[in-house]
Amino acid sequence: MFFDFVKRNSRQTRKENGVYFASLIVSIMAFYVILSLGEQDVMRYLKTIESDAVDRLLLLIPVLYGVSLVFVFFLVYFANRYQMQQRSHEFGMYLMMGMKQSKLFLMTMGEAILNSIMSLCIGLPIALFITELINLTTSRLVGMGIVGHAFRISWVGILLTICGFFLVQLLAMLILSFKLSRKEPNELLHEDKDKSQSTMTPKWGVVSLLSGATLLLGTIFLCIAYGMAILYLRNFDYSIFALILLIGIMGTFIMFRGLGSLIGFYVMKKGKSTTGISMFTARQLQENVLHQWSSLAISSLLILMAMVCFAFGTFTALTNDAVSTRTVDYTFNDEKAEIQAVVQSEELAPYIEQFYGMALHNFYASEDESTLNFHFAWSGLMEEISSATDSEAKNILINNFSQKGNPYFISLSSYNDMLQAAGKEQIVLADNEVAMYSSEVTGAPYDVLKDLLQKEPTIEIADKEYTLASNLYSDNIVADRAITLMYALIVPDTLFTQYFDVVDTWLWNMTLKSDFVKEKGLMQAMLEVDQVLNTMDVQFESYLASMGRQLFYTVAATYTTFYLGVMFLLIANTVLGLNFLMQQRSTRSRYETLVMLGANVHSICLSARKQIWLYFILAITVALISGSFGIWSLLTALPAAEFNVRNISVIGLVVLLFIIIEVIYIRMIQRKSDAEIQKLNDID
Amino acid sequence: MVNASNKLLEVKEVHKVFGKGQSETKALKGVTFDVLPGEFLGIMGASGSGKTTLLNVIATMLKPTSGQILLEGQNISSFKGGQLAAYRGNHIGYLFQQFELIDNLTVKENIVLPLAIHGIHVSAQEQQLSELVNRFDIEELLNKFPSQLSGGQKQRVAAARALISNPSIVLADEPTGALDTKNAKVLMEKLSEHNQLHRSTILTVTHDANAASYCSRILFIQDGVIFHELRRNVLGESQEAFYERIVMVMAQLAGGSSNVL
Repeated sequence: MFFDFVKRNSRQTRKENGVYFASLIVSIMAFYVILSLGEQDVMRYLKTIESDAVDRLLLLIPVLYGVSLVFVFFLVYFANRYQMQQRSHEFGMYLMMGMKQSKLFLMTMGEAILNSIMSLCIGLPIALFITELINLTTSRLVGMGIVGHAFRISWVGILLTICGFFLVQLLAMLILSFKLSRKEPNELLHEDKDKSQSTMTPKWGVVSLLSGATLLLGTIFLCIAYGMAILYLRNFDYSIFALILLIGIMGTFIMFRGLGSLIGFYVMKKGKSTTGISMFTARQLQENVLHQWSSLAISSLLILMAMVCFAFGTFTALTNDAVSTRTVDYTFNDEKAEIQAVVQSEELAPYIEQFYGMALHNFYASEDESTLNFHFAWSGLMEEISSATDSEAKNILINNFSQKGNPYFISLSSYNDMLQAAGKEQIVLADNEVAMYSSEVTGAPYDVLKDLLQKEPTIEIADKEYTLASNLYSDNIVADRAITLMYALIVPDTLFTQYFDVVDTWLWNMTLKSDFVKEKGLMQAMLEVDQVLNTMDVQFESYLASMGRQLFYTVAATYTTFYLGVMFLLIANTVLGLNFLMQQRSTRSRYETLVMLGANVHSICLSARKQIWLYFILAITVALISGSFGIWSLLTALPAAEFNVRNISVIGLVVLLFIIIEVIYIRMIQRKSDAEIQKLNDID
Repeated sequence: MVNASNKLLEVKEVHKVFGKGQSETKALKGVTFDVLPGEFLGIMGASGSGKTTLLNVIATMLKPTSGQILLEGQNISSFKGGQLAAYRGNHIGYLFQQFELIDNLTVKENIVLPLAIHGIHVSAQEQQLSELVNRFDIEELLNKFPSQLSGGQKQRVAAARALISNPSIVLADEPTGALDTKNAKVLMEKLSEHNQLHRSTILTVTHDANAASYCSRILFIQDGVIFHELRRNVLGESQEAFYERIVMVMAQLAGGSSNVL
């Protein structure tokens, strides 16, 4: 009997309160998505080549899970609070009809458990679907079509999702039930009335004046934070960073605290000329802001965090574009004879297109008694740099080139072999000419350097002057992307062999037959060759493994930041939406009065929809302004991404995702609000 | 006598049934009466007699099961959505027991709300507004919020709101129900004053004989039918005498010798 009752109530809840139910389902998805990270195709693939780093990331998952628990708790708490508030009259009636507090508690808990089970039944399949979608998207985005795709279910993930969800749901319900049990039946029966009676403080004028002042103060605080972010954030300093954060957060809170008076002022000014219920709309919004300023501020800050997360994730994904720069497939690290034996072996030979040594050496005397002249100076280049216009980039370059230590030399023939294998044009050096090489060519200093090279500056090697070629070269000289050379010189073989013996070459590059790669796909082809190589006793580094490492950092950073971003966004929206609906609920009598005074239901719906738009836009606008500063300082700290069509479309997609999430939420809340208002129309 | 075509409100054979089958309750069992322009009509009856249902039906808050309600010749009981909205607050003014002021709007904003809803500029009704504000003695309160007002003040604001759009009829549901006797008296005096000066039509439901004694005619309703009617002789009868008559009818209504088992 009691169980039937609980069952009926819970069914009613699901039918009537879609927002509540959707919140529960979202939180289930949030749990499963993070917990199943280890089962994602990309992660499984990365595990095979980069197990240490992946393991380290997977160790991070419990932390993220814990963070999610906290955030999801707020989500569920708010959703439940809204739900309980809607039913407070009903609970009051139960108590008046003689239901014991303990039984009421059991009933609400029972309903919570039943709702949880139902949410799990719906949420888990959706979560599986979403992870599958993410899985496919990442596999595709990685751009290889090779991370063999298979549908997998993380059973541990499901188990932990269920546990986490129940924990959060029960904790939220416990707190709410405890609060409920401390209320008198009368309070429960007349909750709506109490609320609407206490909506306005009598000292209206003082409140208005004070909040106007706080608005100003908050804005000033925010501006200071922005200013400091622009001026100081580049030279990262924890204390400054903390100060900016503190002032910014305080500014946001104080500003929202004071915003109500601004709307009040607007109403006063527009009051005479308005028709329709726009005055009511504005006053409702004002009341919302006055009462919910703290949750508005929190939501706004959460949206800001979501924006920064999205921006960071997007730009990490875009700047680590490893796919486009494949030049070498394998690099061996051993004596020439041994490598040759391997390469020419029956098993390996069919796969190989090119095989060549990468002659490379640091320009310094390895033996003290060397008679060779190891003198080196960037002299001419330094002069050019010094005469360049002052900039931060210039200072960096001066700093870089004035450091002691000689650069690496790369033999021209090795470099040309590599270029040929990669299908690129070879370098031809004139007499007394060398070319500049750098592994990284993004950022302002490199742009300055590229410009300077056009002037063909000189350098000194062994007291002899050489001109620098006008191009800056940056192709990967080995498979291992971790090996980078900040500045090196590509020198003619005659110069190279003067100092170093070609026999000393210890890096050997190999590329796979392009037909084979085309046929199998890069990943499968390399995995096949990896297996062959693993049977031989040889040290090697493959493009795939090294790219995998890069890919891993990209995937890990992108995945976690996007995950957090979506979480922040969902929670902010839920808090905003439910707060709005709760206010609407508690001021229901006002809507009834409007209907009695002749407002048609459609125009009231429009008013409520407008209130919802404005309420959300308030939070989003402040977040957007702060966010643009945040993203700006973030971008100056990150290596600049190229703005090509692909990148712009990716950025566009992310912005679109953000807008879609917002619009979906706003529409959902509006539909709920419409449904509530439509009830007013029911006359029988 | 006023001729028949001058009737402001005609209630014809109105029935209202709640529920179905076994739980069926007949709240109104064929109520018929007319209201003439400028009348101050009271409807009295015990709890459960159907008086609030009758008012709600006239107020378009409920649809009658059968029968017609004609306001200025229009059958308002058949109105839907937009038509209803055009009548509410414009042709019909309301006064509620719990005032139903919107508590985040100022007094002035509350009063002009019906105008704003119906798309009328406040400036066009400035004179009307200041007259009502004077009559109900609420000049000082215009920029205050409802929570800063006493119950009596709130109801006077509500009355001004009900009258601002010059409605054909004002429907009042126990307007003095939440007021103390002093404030109730002030309110009824003001309403009656307005009724006499402007020939405005007011229909009030009440069980308070004191408040009812301000009316020019009273209908008594019992078990869903009109059971008695009292008229105040405009010139000859004092309010006290009318009050006495009301109390007598009420005594009969409340029990009367025939109801004693």
